[in-house]
Amino acid sequence: MGDYKFAKDKLAEVVGALKDYEVFAPAAVGDVLRFKEVEDASSVSFDFKNTNVPPKELMFPETETLFKFRVGKTDIEPAVPDESKKRLVFGIRPCDAMAYTIVEKLYSWDYPDPYFEKRRESSVLFGLACSEPVPNCFCTSLGGGPGSEQGLDALMFDLGETVYVKTITDAGDTVAKAMGLEAAADAEKKAAAAQEKDALGKIKRSIDTEGIPEKLPSLYDHPFWEQFSDRCLSCGICTFLCPTCHCFDIQDEMEAFDGRRARMWDTCMFPEYTLHTSGHNPRPTRKERTRNRISHKYSYFPEKFDVIACVGCGRCINYCPVNIDILDILEKSKQAEAKEAKTA
Amino acid sequence: MMDESNPYLPYIVNIEDAWYETPVGDRAVKTFKVNFKDEKVWDTWSHKPGNCAMVGRLGIGESMFCISSSPTEEGYLRFSIMQAGKVTSALHDLEAGDTMTVRGPLGNSFPMEEWEGKNILSIGGGIGQAPLRPVINYVRANKDKYGNLSVLYGARTSDLHCFKSEFQEYQEEGTECHLAIDIEEEGWKNFVGFVPDLLLDVAPSPDNTIAVTCGPPILIKFVTQGLERLGFTADQIYTTLEERMKCGIGKCGRCNVGSLYVCKDGPVFSYATLKEIPEAFA
Amino acid sequence: MVDETILREKAREVLARDDVRRLIGWKRGTYGYESAPAVLKDASQADELIFDPTCVQNPASFITLEEKLPVPRGQDPDTRKVAVLVKGCDSRAVVQQLVEKAYTRDGVIVLGVPCTGVVDRRKAQKMFGDTSEPVMIKEEGDKFVFIIDGETREGPRAELLADKCVRCRFPNPLVYDELVADEVAVWGADEFADVDEFEKMSPPEKWKFWEEQFSKCIRCYSCRNVCPMCYCLECVVTKQKPQWTRRSTDVSENTAYHIQRAWHLSGRCIECGECERVCPVDIPITTLNRKMTRDVKELFSYEPGVDVEAEPLLSCYNPQDPEEYIM
Repeated sequence: MGDYKFAKDKLAEVVGALKDYEVFAPAAVGDVLRFKEVEDASSVSFDFKNTNVPPKELMFPETETLFKFRVGKTDIEPAVPDESKKRLVFGIRPCDAMAYTIVEKLYSWDYPDPYFEKRRESSVLFGLACSEPVPNCFCTSLGGGPGSEQGLDALMFDLGETVYVKTITDAGDTVAKAMGLEAAADAEKKAAAAQEKDALGKIKRSIDTEGIPEKLPSLYDHPFWEQFSDRCLSCGICTFLCPTCHCFDIQDEMEAFDGRRARMWDTCMFPEYTLHTSGHNPRPTRKERTRNRISHKYSYFPEKFDVIACVGCGRCINYCPVNIDILDILEKSKQAEAKEAKTA
Repeated sequence: MMDESNPYLPYIVNIEDAWYETPVGDRAVKTFKVNFKDEKVWDTWSHKPGNCAMVGRLGIGESMFCISSSPTEEGYLRFSIMQAGKVTSALHDLEAGDTMTVRGPLGNSFPMEEWEGKNILSIGGGIGQAPLRPVINYVRANKDKYGNLSVLYGARTSDLHCFKSEFQEYQEEGTECHLAIDIEEEGWKNFVGFVPDLLLDVAPSPDNTIAVTCGPPILIKFVTQGLERLGFTADQIYTTLEERMKCGIGKCGRCNVGSLYVCKDGPVFSYATLKEIPEAFA
Repeated sequence: MVDETILREKAREVLARDDVRRLIGWKRGTYGYESAPAVLKDASQADELIFDPTCVQNPASFITLEEKLPVPRGQDPDTRKVAVLVKGCDSRAVVQQLVEKAYTRDGVIVLGVPCTGVVDRRKAQKMFGDTSEPVMIKEEGDKFVFIIDGETREGPRAELLADKCVRCRFPNPLVYDELVADEVAVWGADEFADVDEFEKMSPPEKWKFWEEQFSKCIRCYSCRNVCPMCYCLECVVTKQKPQWTRRSTDVSENTAYHIQRAWHLSGRCIECGECERVCPVDIPITTLNRKMTRDVKELFSYEPGVDVEAEPLLSCYNPQDPEEYIM
C-alpha cells in the first residue's frame, strides 16, 4: 500500500482534517484511559502505553440495545447501528486490533451478529506500533508483535518528531489521503523497522503455546487449578478488560410503557453465569470457572476456530487484584502431569 | 428460518390453545400450541425433531425450549414449559388468544435420516418427554421408514405424567409402551420405580436399535449406564442436554460444555460425543 | 519489624495441625509492587510466605470467599479450621465477621502480624514506572527501599504509603491467637479531614464528580467481591427474582449499585481500602464509604471491627438511639 508521514506536532491538525469520520482515540479520566470519541483534536496524544478498557467496547459496547418495543404492542424496532457513519479508531495497539480478528470468527459463525459487524465494517483502524511494551505483555507468543499489522488498515510509528504511517488496506489509504499526509522516505521506513526491532527486544515475558490446546482437557481433574482458583475473587476484571473476551447477557428492560431488549458484557467468572433456574450450577466454584476460562481461551476456542483466544496484551495480569497470572497458569499446565490428574 | 440478517429478532406467535399437563402449582407443566402471527413465516420455516427455540415475552425475556412438535404436525408448533423462574412464570400467565415470542429454529436435531431402518427406543422422565415427543411423532408419521418404536416413560406420580392421552394413542397403534411412577399409588397397575429401573426391567434388545433419552441429569446418567449394561454402544445412545442460555446462537458464550456449545453444536448429542468431554459428566 | 523466618515457622506449626484445613497469607507475586494472596494447604508450603510492604491484600476476605458445597451423602462435612495471617486493618475484618457471626471464633486461628504500612502500587508506579518482575520492598526508617529489575531505588515513606496507612490507628491486630512479631507504636490519626474537604463541594459539584466517576464503572464487582464484609450468598445487586438493579451499565444503574453497597456497609466497613485498590477504573470508593463511617461514628459513637463483644450496629436496637422508634 502506501508510505506516509506527518510531523507529530501537527497531530491535532491531522486528526481534525477528517470531517467525515467519527474519530475515537484514547482519552483520560484521571489516570484511566479508554477509547472515546474525540471532541477536541488537540487532546489526542501518543503518550500512552495502552488503555485500561480495551477498544473492544467500540465494536461491542458494554451495554447496547438489540431492539425496542412498547407495552401491549408486538412491534419490534431493531436498533442495529447505522453503518453509514464512518469511524476511525486512532491509536489502537496491534494486540487489540488482532483481537478483533479473533472475536470476528465467533461473531460471524453461521449466524451474523449485525451489531458487531456493522460497527466493525464501518470502522477504519489506524494502529499505533508499540515502542515500549506494557509490563507483562506477551503478544509475540501469540503470533502478534509491536509492529503486527493483523486487523489494521494502517499502522503508525511514533518516531519522535515524525510519525511514519504505513497504509495496509484501501480504507487506510483513503483516510491517509484525506488527512493530507505527505509521502514518507526510506529514512522513516528504516527508523520504523529499527523501532520495531528494539521494541521486540523489550518484551520480557513469553510462553511456548505448543501443545497447550491439546493438553488442557487432559488436566480437567488435576488439582493444580486450585493453586489459582483458591484466591480468585470471581470478579469480572480479567474478562471485561480482555480484548478477546466476548460473552454477554441479554436482559429485557421496561420503563413505563417503553421497553428494550439489551445486551451487556457478562463473564464466565460470575457464579450466576451458568446458574440454572432449578438451582443447579455446572460450575459452582471458582475452580470450575477458572479452569473453564483458561480452557476456553487456550483449548476450546482454538479447537473450533484454529486460533487461541488471547493476544497477550497483559491486561488480565496487570489488573487482577490477586495476581492470578495467566502465564503462570500456562507454565504450570505444561509442567503438570496428566496422569496425576487421575489420582487426584 | 428467522431473520437471516438479525438472529436476535424473535417472531410473534399467537397462542391457539394452552393447557396444563400436570396439576397447577410450582413446577407445573403447561403446553402451548402456537401459530405465527405472520402466516408468511411458515413459507420459510422448517424444523426437525430436536430443534429448539427461544420462547418468551417482550419485557420479561426468553428461555430455550425444545420444539415439542414434530414437523409432521403441520400448521402449529408446540412447547411444553415447566414453571420454574421469571420467564416461565410469565409464560404460564398466558392463555389462548395471547401472544408470545419465538426465535428459532435453533440448535441441531436428531439424525432422523441416519436412523431410518432402525428400531427407536425412547426413554423419558418427567418434562424430559417434551423433546422426545417430536421424535416419536415423526417415527409414527413415517412408520415404513423405521423399525419398531418403543416408549418408556416415568414421572414421580401419575399426576405428573405429561401427554397422558398420547401414550394411550401409541398403545392403540401397537407401539410398545411402558409407563412408571416413582412410588406406589392406588389404582396404578404399571411399573413402580425410577425410569432407569424400568429400563432394566423391560430390558430392550440393543439389536439395530437407537436409544434416545431425556430427563433430569441424574436420569440421563443412570439410563445411559443401564443401556450400556444391556449392550448398547455409545453411538447407539442419544440425548439432549440443557444449559442456561441467552443468545441461542453460539455467541454469548455461557452454554458451553467443554468446546461444544449446547445451543449450537447441540442440544442433541450422542453419548459417544459426550464421553470425550470431561465437563459433560462433572 | 517482622522476621519472616519466625512468621513461616509459626505458620508451619499451624498448618501441620490435624485440625487445620488451610492457611491464608501472602506470597511473592509474579511481577510488580504487590504480593499475591497465598492459600496454603500443606505445612511444606509455609516457606512461600512473605511479609513486607507489598502485602496489600486482606486475607480475611478469603475466609468468606471459600465456597461451601453440599456434602455428598455418606461423607462428613470438613469442620477443620481456617488459619489466617492478618495485619492490623485485616484483623478488624475478622473482628467484624465474628461480631456478625459469619463464623465462630473457634473456626479460625488468627496469626497477628503487626504492620508498619504497605506501599500503594499506583504511587510506586508513578515514581518508578512499571515492571514485569517482582519487586522487593523494605522499609528503612522514613524510606522505602525498592529493588526493581535488579536496581535499588528509594522513596519517602510518606509519599508511597497507601492512604489508609497514613491515617492508620490499628497497626496491631485486634484479635489473634498468636502474634508473629512485637507490636508496633501507633503513628496515625484520623479526623476524617478528607470527608470534610469533600463535603465542602456544592451538591451540583458533588453530583458532577460522582457522575464522572460512576460513568467509568464497568460493574466488574471486584470492589464487592474483595470486600471482607460483602459475603452475602446472594447479593441484592445480582438477584434476578426480583431484579433490583439492572445489569446495564448506564450511570443511573452504576450509581445505584455503589450507593447501595455504601449503605450496606455503613457501620460495617472496616476501612481496609481493598475496594479502591482493586478498582480497574480508579473509582474513589473509599471516599463514599468513609462518609458513612464518619457519620456512623458521629451519630452512634460506633466503630466497627474493634470490639469482638460489640453488637452489629444496624441489626440491634438501643433505647439511646437518636431515632424515636425502631423503624
